[in-house]
Amino acid sequence: MFMIRPLILGWLFAMAFAAGASAQDLGRADLVARLCGNAAATGDAGSRILAGAGQPDAAELPWMETVISALLDRRLKCAADPAQSVVEGDGAVRSAVTLEPASVPDLSKVPVLNLRSRAILELAQSALRLRIGATPTIRRQALAALGRKAASVPVEVFEQAAAGESDAGLKAEIESTAQISALNSPDISKRISAVERLASTPNRRVQTQIAALQADPAYTSDETFRLTVDAALARVGQGILIGDVLSTLYNGLSFASILFMAAIGLSVIFGLMGVINLAQGELIMIGAYVTWLTQEALKSIAPGIADYYLLIAVVPAFLVTAGIGVLLEAAILRHLYKRPLMSLLATWAISLFLINLVRVTFGTQNLQFLTPFYITGGVPVVGDFIVTWNRLFAIAFAAITLALTWLVVNRTGLGLNIRAVTQNRDMAGCIGIPTRKIDMMAFGLGSGLAGLAGLSLSPIYNVNPQMGGNFIIDSFMVVVLGGVGTIGGTLVAALGVGQINVLIEPLWGAVAAKVIVLFLIIAFLQWRPEGLFTAKGRRR
Amino acid sequence: MKTLFADRSFAALIALCAVAAIVIALSGGTSMLSPYMVNAIGQLATFAILAVSLDLIWGYLGILSLGHGLFFAIGGYVAAMHLLKHSYEITGIVPDFMQFMGWQEFPLYWAGLSNAPYALLLALGVTAFVAFVFGYVSFRSKVGGVYFAIISQALVYVAMLLMFRNDTGFGGNNGMTGFSLVFGWPAGQPGTLVGMAVVSIIVLIAVLIGCRLLVTSRTGRMMVAARDDEVRLRSLGYGTLWLKLAIWCLSAVIAAIAGILYVPQVGIINPRVLSPELSLEIAVWVAVGGRGYLTGAVIGALAVNALKFWLSAAAPEVWPFILSGLVVLIVLVFPNGLLDLAGLKWKPRLLASLGGAK
Repeated sequence: MFMIRPLILGWLFAMAFAAGASAQDLGRADLVARLCGNAAATGDAGSRILAGAGQPDAAELPWMETVISALLDRRLKCAADPAQSVVEGDGAVRSAVTLEPASVPDLSKVPVLNLRSRAILELAQSALRLRIGATPTIRRQALAALGRKAASVPVEVFEQAAAGESDAGLKAEIESTAQISALNSPDISKRISAVERLASTPNRRVQTQIAALQADPAYTSDETFRLTVDAALARVGQGILIGDVLSTLYNGLSFASILFMAAIGLSVIFGLMGVINLAQGELIMIGAYVTWLTQEALKSIAPGIADYYLLIAVVPAFLVTAGIGVLLEAAILRHLYKRPLMSLLATWAISLFLINLVRVTFGTQNLQFLTPFYITGGVPVVGDFIVTWNRLFAIAFAAITLALTWLVVNRTGLGLNIRAVTQNRDMAGCIGIPTRKIDMMAFGLGSGLAGLAGLSLSPIYNVNPQMGGNFIIDSFMVVVLGGVGTIGGTLVAALGVGQINVLIEPLWGAVAAKVIVLFLIIAFLQWRPEGLFTAKGRRR
Repeated sequence: MKTLFADRSFAALIALCAVAAIVIALSGGTSMLSPYMVNAIGQLATFAILAVSLDLIWGYLGILSLGHGLFFAIGGYVAAMHLLKHSYEITGIVPDFMQFMGWQEFPLYWAGLSNAPYALLLALGVTAFVAFVFGYVSFRSKVGGVYFAIISQALVYVAMLLMFRNDTGFGGNNGMTGFSLVFGWPAGQPGTLVGMAVVSIIVLIAVLIGCRLLVTSRTGRMMVAARDDEVRLRSLGYGTLWLKLAIWCLSAVIAAIAGILYVPQVGIINPRVLSPELSLEIAVWVAVGGRGYLTGAVIGALAVNALKFWLSAAAPEVWPFILSGLVVLIVLVFPNGLLDLAGLKWKPRLLASLGGAK
């Protein structure tokens, strides 16, 4: 196969440009005769159709598309006389020349395609569909098929298709693909401008296309062409580098936003009560399950807005997990005040209980989430860096959560009380702050934030009863690194841990990243045992 | 001797262990006591040793380690490496993980492991080294309490991730199994099982007596003082860093001994022993039995594991619920574990005044 592919491409190239003649030069009957002929004739017909797809006149194109699709699907029955040949399909038999109803001739055969002619016929079919496809989806698929071999498609196909295209996004894509085709245009000035325009959207595909031109005869014979190609390669290389750096930063940012979401609730609770909530991961899991339940409920009640489940579930995910948090605080943790190590065991027991409760209720399999339109796909920015909507959603969600948490902690009465109790519990109690009630509210807030974390990561990660364990140790590390009970510390630590993870992962793997992060944190604690930011005030 | 057995429950426990060892030695493997039971008792004894090791550091020094499975695993892994290498040299059967990886030779760090004394020394040495480094950097910067617990948990978690990799030469996610010889005796035979169980119980007795001597000594007083008010102890002129570090390393070494004894009895080791859950369960055993009492740690390990052996066979779905309920109950109602439940009045005054250990 590896040997054959370059052969086919070279052959396609030769056929498409050496033949030059288009299908419109022949009559319909003549074309059908060639399609029904031997391998060489079929290939010639295919390249003529490909050239014909680039003609301004689109009148004959639907007919060509019908016949060529029939041939590829083995629905074209050839007779000795082309006029007798028929096309089957859609429950009808039609003449291959006129597309009028007809009957299957007595002596008919189905032409056998070899690898070469099939490749060029498929290319011709895609070119036709790009011109006359009924829906943007069909045309987009056709463009994707053409894009892989854009160099062997006549540039006119893309030019005509772009001129007739109504979908603006698709039109831009067609024009960009056209540049690759124009690289092999016989006209040297067209080639140079194509190279320049391609270099303005650098990515690895473009790099391969332009680098291939260094082997072109024109590269050695034409000075201007050589300089253009070299400059373009340098520009593309730079663009790819920038794209890769941005892409790493973006991935790190999205990982950091997940870490932040998982850690912020933990941090608030730890700062206030000195309690590490080992069930935080399970609250994240429950947040994700509530999101799923919301989606299922919407599907059955209001399918029209089911796509918006990620936004609608914000309220139930927060309330359910906050409720569980308040319940836990009131029933268990408030009795473990001066015994933080015992509260570790208690919260672990709770996490064990929640995991098994969910496992018994829902089973252990991963939940299936819809992928709403607003988190599908992405926008290519530079190089191979694509801003994917699902990660952007997680980042934006974390940013909003950060802002709201900051507002609650710094601009509300509850937040003032939380800060007071965090700094000095006894003194806060003395001046009349109901510390126990504040504990309960803060525990609810921290738990609710875990629920929101579960919501934001449900479109990206696997959701199952054990998922909590994957986040919990990372988020502890963020809390330990960031310092207790400070939003800023948690944010900076999450960004740091996220970026370090993403930087190390491609070099030595995910496990090494975790090991190195842990050792960095232990080393860091030698320098600042209290973490990056410390809430001012006396520690207990 | 007087202080050693002044505590009647401790004396009773030692006597019970001694009786168990003698009974197994005499009638183990016969119809009276099936090899399965002998093996189960032997494994329980290693869990008891593990619990005592954690109790030493948590109950008496107030440092909760949620990563004690790491030291248990180091002992277990080195023991498994010794058994495999030894079996290989006698029988010539290439270990599974090497066939799986397509390796012809043992990695360099397996050198000399067929020698039992060297393997023992290596297991304890590596454990002590890891414990020392981790303990030194933590205690030096006064990382303690919840911080220490969390970081030790992260340590064991990271170790688990490392061991799950297949290219480390430690068996990867399948672990190591298929020991044909246990210190020269055929594996899985009743005689070998009885021998291992008796050795485990004797080691348990030795560890208990050693720890008892330690905690009733001057050092033991300092340990309790450091647990109850470290700042005051320091301002009285006692350095706590080396005290904590020494006890921490001792505790780690005892845990490694438990691992060394455990692996030949179960016949397998894999990275699951490094899961944070197992390390947390050790703390649960100690909490259930009553921390700060060596007897309690042993009773807790035996009670929880006996319950687990029974329930995970009889009602596997219910076991996690029972365990979590048990923990919440112990933590909320019986802060000193089963010893509270028994109504025995051994609550030390210091503990009582604080309403439980930190």
